[in-house]
Amino acid sequence: MTDRIKEQALDDYLKALFDTDKAAALRIVQQALDNGMSPESVIFEVVVPGMERMIGGMLSDNLVTLSQHFLASQIAEEVTDRLIPLFAVAPEVQGNVVIGTCHGDFHGLGKKIVIGCLRARMFRVTDLGINVAPERFVEAALSNHAKVIGISSMMVHTATGELGPKRVRQLLREQGLEEKVRIIVGGAPYRFHDSLYKEVGADAWADTAAEAPAVVARLMAEVLP
Amino acid sequence: MITGMDRLAALMSGATPDRVPIICNLLDQGAREMKVSLKEYYSRGDLVAEGQLRMREKYGYDTLLGMFYSGLEAELLGCSRIIYADDGPPNIGHLIINTPEHIRKLSLPDDLNDHPRFRELASCIGILKRESAGRWPVLGVATASFTLPAMLMGIGPWLELFLNGDPGLRDRLLETCSRFCSRQISALREAGADLIVYINPVASATFITLAKFRELALPWVIRDLVQSGPTGVIFFNGGGRINPILADLREHTGIGAYYLNPFDDISEARTILGPQALIAGAINDIRLIDWSPEEIDVEVGKIMNAGKQAGGFLFGTLLMPFRIPEQNIRAMMDAAIKHGSYHPEVM
Repeated sequence: MTDRIKEQALDDYLKALFDTDKAAALRIVQQALDNGMSPESVIFEVVVPGMERMIGGMLSDNLVTLSQHFLASQIAEEVTDRLIPLFAVAPEVQGNVVIGTCHGDFHGLGKKIVIGCLRARMFRVTDLGINVAPERFVEAALSNHAKVIGISSMMVHTATGELGPKRVRQLLREQGLEEKVRIIVGGAPYRFHDSLYKEVGADAWADTAAEAPAVVARLMAEVLP
Repeated sequence: MITGMDRLAALMSGATPDRVPIICNLLDQGAREMKVSLKEYYSRGDLVAEGQLRMREKYGYDTLLGMFYSGLEAELLGCSRIIYADDGPPNIGHLIINTPEHIRKLSLPDDLNDHPRFRELASCIGILKRESAGRWPVLGVATASFTLPAMLMGIGPWLELFLNGDPGLRDRLLETCSRFCSRQISALREAGADLIVYINPVASATFITLAKFRELALPWVIRDLVQSGPTGVIFFNGGGRINPILADLREHTGIGAYYLNPFDDISEARTILGPQALIAGAINDIRLIDWSPEEIDVEVGKIMNAGKQAGGFLFGTLLMPFRIPEQNIRAMMDAAIKHGSYHPEVM
């Protein structure tokens, strides 16, 4: 397998993502496998860089749209799930994350995009769904041995409300877990107000889903083993 | 007294009003004004109308908003569960489309006034129209056919369907939603709305590429407005950037007013639209929660300067979060009146 073929696969894959053409993207993945690329190589040299370049806005100077984010993440997750069992050696899990949409919030798109990015980067993610009670975040973090809790909000009142991240922070404090579990937040209100994450008691936020794996990895490195 | 309607009429005729008209979209704050819960507030059109009238009187902006919450449109189409909060807009708690069969069976009420929730909304708009007595334009709000499915099936499944799903099913859903949108615009006008705010975030450049906008969304914008016509329609960003789609909208729809996102550049919008169209520039109202009055003054000043240079300009907000303190709403209004004046020497 030459580098040129890999580069061509990545270029074609990026074009399919840019055009939000899922069928073409999956076809390119299959062609790469048929041409002898290993499942590991397809994931780490085509699918993940494609997703991160698309979602990270590095593909062009133009605005990268939510539909492109959505598709890049969705395909990455699907292909990763399909190809991981074919890896020669089981990949090293980067860590456990629990993630959900804030109490009172029924918007699941942002969370879904982030989950795709994290799974493609080999994090083990537990999706708690939408409208998640603060207690549930903490319980799930404990039962899943997660070092990071991700809380998504689409609306200002759910991001800043008393049953949102603020309450999760309070529960961690009350249970002596603040040095063991970190909170990351994301969603529309944080994009309009880039210091809001501090006000709601989070340790970090990510502007795009592509940034989430790096931020989560940094948070995991901070906490006690 | 110069009224909001005078200011708007001046803009529409190409004249310069005394100051930039101000659209301040306060919704849930009306419940606080009326000292009732949000659930009770939105249960009655007369309460919402009274809340809107009091808030306009209190702050002095130029329009009256004849809207309850976005999910009401889903209720008109069969959503049976709306979840209320104490401090923010109600959420849709029941998605009515979960299978292709639900799309095939989706039906519209022949007359929206047959639905009790629409009757409350129409009653609210009727009161606003009557009490305004031609002084303050009453805004009715309709969600575009290309965005409405997100409220019926969730945004993820809708993206999935229109990007990579069955085109026949997608078009069937859009056809139904477009008929609903068209009927709603007519019904809002019959109820007394002077202007229609046409909300289409899923068509914005934040959601889809320009190529997809042209292929999938634009034809449905045109279709939504065939029956009612584009006169008196304001294209509202709904939280997404719209500068990249303005040229197509202007060329193909005949819409004469565009309500930008806070991240859209006002002078760029003017260049794209040419001299005729009206432009509303929006402040990033989430920041109004904790900006100081001085910061608000600076930010409003920037928007007003750009808008006054662009001409044909209105100042606006998105949907103001409930948490914005009253003094910051006043600070925004004071700044908007100060910086929006075309005749500062007479102030």
